[in-house]
Amino acid sequence: MFRLRPSLFLTPYLLGALLLIALPAGISIYIAFTRYNGIAAPVVVGWENFQLLRLDPLARVALTNSLIFVTQSVPLRVIGALGLALFFNQPRRGTGFYRAAVTLPTVIPEAAYALAWTWILNPLYGPFNAILRGLGFAPPAWFADSDSAMLGLVIASLFPLGEGFIILLAGLRHIPREIYDAARVDGANRFQILASITLPLLAPWLALFAIRDVVMSFQNTFTLAFITTRGGPYYATFFPTQLIYEFAFSRMDFGAASAVMLLVFLVTSALVLLVYFLFADDPFDEA
Amino acid sequence: MRLSRFILAFLFLLSACQSNASEKISFMVFGDPAELAAYQKLVDAFSQAHPDVQVELIHIPSQGDYRNRLAADLAAGAPADVVLINYRRYAAFADAGALEPLGGYLEKSSVIKESDFYPQAVEPFKWNGQLMCIPQNISSLVVYYNKELFDAAGVDYPAEGWTWDDFLAAAQALTKDLDGDGATDQFGVGLEPSLIRFAPFVWQAGGEVVDDQFHSTSLVIDSDEGYAAMEFFVGLQTVHHVVPNAEEEKSEDSESRFVNGRTAMFFNSRRGVPTYRESAQFDWDVAALPQNKEQAGILHADAYCLPSASKNKDAAWVFIEYANSVEGQTIVAASGRTVPSLIAVANSCAFLDPNAKPANSRVFLDTIPFIHALPVHRFWVDIEDTASAEIARAFYGETPVYDALFRAIERTGEYFKLK
Amino acid sequence: MKPRLSTLIRHLLALTIAATFLLPLAWTLAASLRPAGLPPPRGFEFLHWPPSFENYSRIFEILPFARYAFNSLLVALAGVLLTLLTASWAGFGMSLLGRRAQIRLLILSIFLQMIPFTALWLSRFLFFARLGLTNSYYAMLAPALMGTSPLFILLFYWTFRRIDRAVFESASLDGANLFQTWMRIALPLARPALMAVGLLAFLFYWNDFISPLLYLRSQTLYTLPVGMLQLQEMDRTNWPLLMAAAVLVTAPAVIVFAALQHSVLWWESE
Repeated sequence: MFRLRPSLFLTPYLLGALLLIALPAGISIYIAFTRYNGIAAPVVVGWENFQLLRLDPLARVALTNSLIFVTQSVPLRVIGALGLALFFNQPRRGTGFYRAAVTLPTVIPEAAYALAWTWILNPLYGPFNAILRGLGFAPPAWFADSDSAMLGLVIASLFPLGEGFIILLAGLRHIPREIYDAARVDGANRFQILASITLPLLAPWLALFAIRDVVMSFQNTFTLAFITTRGGPYYATFFPTQLIYEFAFSRMDFGAASAVMLLVFLVTSALVLLVYFLFADDPFDEA
Repeated sequence: MRLSRFILAFLFLLSACQSNASEKISFMVFGDPAELAAYQKLVDAFSQAHPDVQVELIHIPSQGDYRNRLAADLAAGAPADVVLINYRRYAAFADAGALEPLGGYLEKSSVIKESDFYPQAVEPFKWNGQLMCIPQNISSLVVYYNKELFDAAGVDYPAEGWTWDDFLAAAQALTKDLDGDGATDQFGVGLEPSLIRFAPFVWQAGGEVVDDQFHSTSLVIDSDEGYAAMEFFVGLQTVHHVVPNAEEEKSEDSESRFVNGRTAMFFNSRRGVPTYRESAQFDWDVAALPQNKEQAGILHADAYCLPSASKNKDAAWVFIEYANSVEGQTIVAASGRTVPSLIAVANSCAFLDPNAKPANSRVFLDTIPFIHALPVHRFWVDIEDTASAEIARAFYGETPVYDALFRAIERTGEYFKLK
Repeated sequence: MKPRLSTLIRHLLALTIAATFLLPLAWTLAASLRPAGLPPPRGFEFLHWPPSFENYSRIFEILPFARYAFNSLLVALAGVLLTLLTASWAGFGMSLLGRRAQIRLLILSIFLQMIPFTALWLSRFLFFARLGLTNSYYAMLAPALMGTSPLFILLFYWTFRRIDRAVFESASLDGANLFQTWMRIALPLARPALMAVGLLAFLFYWNDFISPLLYLRSQTLYTLPVGMLQLQEMDRTNWPLLMAAAVLVTAPAVIVFAALQHSVLWWESE
């Protein structure tokens, strides 16, 4: 019927996915099994990079830090985004402004955002500690102290949750009104409706956001830590992405760097497969 | 399709930023704006002398990032044609065969020869006996001090041959809580807790940093001397509080405090001079490092290197040769940035200019006989980073001195073992 | 509880939440207006009075920030234009496929959407380096080839699949080819998606920090986020100056967001 086939329009997309995702993934698989300094030709060494990685204390620190960050940041972000989406779901007077205000931190360029937090959490002069001191607390030194640096990053990560907020707003809109009406007719109160209708129906969306958030924390922690702490103090905020960066550009060991990258990629893919099972029956179809 | 033509034009615009000259080279440097200005002057003067070669100046602010940038550029196969590298950082590149040995070029040069340079600056750039890069400077660590704060506190300026005790006494007298709120407003000392700052203290105490200068296999800072040095170094913060603690340093770093007149003594190499000349609103000068059992200083030398991947090696060499000629080194020296590696320029007015601060520039030359160098090792950057992390931890009181020394040696051992 | 009271509480709560989320930016802005060279504030001070704008002009003296801003704008605009093209093409093509193919592509897109750039950046870097595409905007703009983000494609897809296929078919009966159909019929019907994707793509390219850090070498090509890092490295603790830089980099993103936020925050609401 059409003289141009629809698949032609998909070519750039699929070609891009091939060149920007499949190919780099393939390259990193290959380099992960070689010794390669970026200058001389790579030499295949089998599992050597992975064996060295297993013994590398910094790799262990980076992995542990990642887990700590994810277990603290992601649940708080999911709960935060959920609360905000529920609170600002109904269009009322001012909702437009409120929604925009809540999304604003997400819009700030992440480098500028991270830089801003180096000031906000400045231990002596920053506004946050000034308030804490005013309230009578002895404030922590945040990025200057290995005990509180991670907490500082977690706090900073709680504001840019606009993405989850929007995802969950979309999820809420997909719940048919009739279900609510029926529940109200049955005399259910607000909390019963939330617990037995809203949350179960929102669950796939929450899972989508949570998993994406876990995955993205590999990325988000890089810029945040790169600008605020450079991984310090004493490796307290040293994450896998920085490990890759150090391996590649400081030690010029692209093999080890690729091995880390491959591991990150595998963990990520496993998590993403989870999403696949959650969404196998295509809930977006309602759109 | 007007839209697509517009987009094509737009894309073209994106790529159309490069012009064609006869010979084009790029020159990558690190440093503050004031230092950059010095290199810009050098490039301008070179362009006058060699109008056929066009030089693009690439500027990376911090030295750590600079090295990473260079590693990335080498991996991308597109490094700058001339790069400045510190002697502590070039070995990995030399080992990978990424640098063109310059000894042969130097021998053929009619402008400069090896004996024109201080040997202390040249030796560290010999990799397996081959001269890899041409050093621009022979800087060393000194104490910058704010004369006005010394006057206000009634403390004598650092005298020649001053000792650790003299230094500590001055530092204590200069550390002050001016408004009586219990927080220190003026610190006696600003000193970065890292291996390069710590090393001269080890030598002054009579110890060594590594077992062998050219074939090092381990750090040896756990000797009695090393331990004494570490106690003194770390004690400046943990015991005497004459240096900002971690919290104070993160809030406002020591160099800013010094430039803003709120730190009396600051440890730095010659590098700081252009910035202090421009920004410090007070009278300042430099003094040699305090002594303990011995007098010792530490070499800070950067050199012009030529990556093997450069597509314009001859033009790059012409630039390196010019930068290290009397004329070229005079230009950079006049900015205050360098202690010239050419003996003639170091003893000239360009460096010892009586009208420019610091008045006591001669200190840099007088201490040359006492200069020690850190070893040249492929993984030195990682070794130094690792040791510095441990030193910083002890310095800020998070771990005892013996633990930091032990861990520094143990952890850096992994890098000495790497093949 | 009287309805009045509960409304009041709700509004107070909403205002508090909104204020909390505006606080980081407000603090940044306030700190940027502190005159240079003053000793740092002791005790709480939201805004130093009188405020000073000298930090803003100082930035342009230290670094070529005007050039960086121009570069950022160039990259962001190019990124937006290319993204609108490729994403709407892909969304359009996808909506015309058979149902099974649509689902397969949908799953593929969700999968791709989930892969963090940081899991691949090093090999992407090596790949672009071998092609000689580093130190140019091509590497930075490469994601636009695949619509920048699969999400953007899905936004178009959801828009187009709600349009009755008969509309497209009648166009083809009138002799329009598929490209013309996309241009004259599909796109004009996708205004909300164009705005939403335009906004998100602008933010993507404007905010991009890692790619320029990785790919760009010449200072003349630097974009604002890298310039900001440069400034930070020159003077780590000159807070008013650094905050002024942060505000400069943030302002255009906030302005574009303010202008187009409705398309994203109220997606599908009308």
